Amino acid sequence: MAILKLYGGKQASCTRRVATVLHELNVPFELIEVDVMNGAHKKPEYLKFQPFGQIPYIDDDGFILYETRAICRYIAAKYPKSGLIPTEPKANALFEQAASVELTNFDPSASKAGLQLWIKKMGYTYPTDDKVIADHLETLEKKLDAYEAILSKQRYVAGETITLADIFHLRYGVYVTYDGSESDNIMNRASRPNVARWYNELVSRPSWLAYLDGVKTTTAY
Amino acid sequence: MPFKIYGFPPSTCTRRVALVCKELNVPYELIPVSIPKGEHKAPEYLKRQPFGVVPAIDDDGFTMFESRPVARYLVAKYGKGSTLVPDPKDIIATAKFEQAVSVENNHFDEPAGELFLQLVIKPMRGLPKDEERVKTLLATLNSKLDVYEMVLAKQPYLGGDILTLADLFHLPWLYGLTEKAKLDLVTSRPNVARWYQEISSRPAWQAVKDGA
Repeated sequence: MAILKLYGGKQASCTRRVATVLHELNVPFELIEVDVMNGAHKKPEYLKFQPFGQIPYIDDDGFILYETRAICRYIAAKYPKSGLIPTEPKANALFEQAASVELTNFDPSASKAGLQLWIKKMGYTYPTDDKVIADHLETLEKKLDAYEAILSKQRYVAGETITLADIFHLRYGVYVTYDGSESDNIMNRASRPNVARWYNELVSRPSWLAYLDGVKTTTAY
Repeated sequence: MPFKIYGFPPSTCTRRVALVCKELNVPYELIPVSIPKGEHKAPEYLKRQPFGVVPAIDDDGFTMFESRPVARYLVAKYGKGSTLVPDPKDIIATAKFEQAVSVENNHFDEPAGELFLQLVIKPMRGLPKDEERVKTLLATLNSKLDVYEMVLAKQPYLGGDILTLADLFHLPWLYGLTEKAKLDLVTSRPNVARWYQEISSRPAWQAVKDGA
């Protein structure tokens, strides 16, 4: 059986999301870098596999899949004992609720502010807009107040055990902290101790720490 | 005890849940939460849905929110034999379904929803349209539907050979944009047109399209 191939970018946020889940489940994979700077992801040979022209996608022994959350769910489904997707019906429903909350309430503002903050931090010459960043962070503050209410009653976003829904927050959750200091940023506000507790636990996980310098081919764990 | 939907009859997400109830013949009681009166931001409602949007559900004491997970829960609980969500034991069909659900959420929902806001909601409220924004959104949505056209040329539905929730999730915005905003998104795209014609003529959608 061929090793799982992850077509993406070493520093790309969505590639990192998939790599984190692969690491959580100790799945060996090969990173094949896509030359995004030179538009490789928009060429016909690439669009055959990912018709929206984005990274990443995977080739798992001939099975092609794109959309990072779908990829992460596929990998977790192959390892059901991990509990990253609960199977008991009500636990599963609450997992789906939390995964949807990440998508509809966290990602829109976190990704838009986070991407610009990351560009600024890395010193890239891509243009950024401080007002856009501020507006999205303001939206995110209100969303995180709701997260505080949820996380004051349970340890993780779907309940008492960690699931994919928590892990999906990681990349942009980190990026938005670039607008503050180590101890005082949007994920670490004193007024939201439960969000801070949850966030700091997530970023200490080995699967997150493994690719701090960028995603790389991982064949052994 | 009937399945309770706390929602607003014309709301997109409330209709999305009602649609799946109809598909599965699950009777429901709609408990109105008035958006114009701001009832979705009232403290009693925020206890049900901390983000202050509709709908939320109560199934004999089990409560949850977010319309797409509610749809999945409905199929899991009441959809014995339903193919609206693939059997989890079929890992490949499930992965393709999840890919299609993710596409709807990441590529379609935002531009479609904002276009509806600009072209239908704002005029209703007497607010001016942002023409530049509309141009950008139309360009984005059209480029996404071009990809849909390619995908649907090779398979009948977004997840593969079988109709699933991933297809049905598109209905509220597509109906709104084609019927209320009068946008022509499908005539130049024969495969999208074929697919939309099929999903929009389902009796379950016809029953709730103008109000849950």
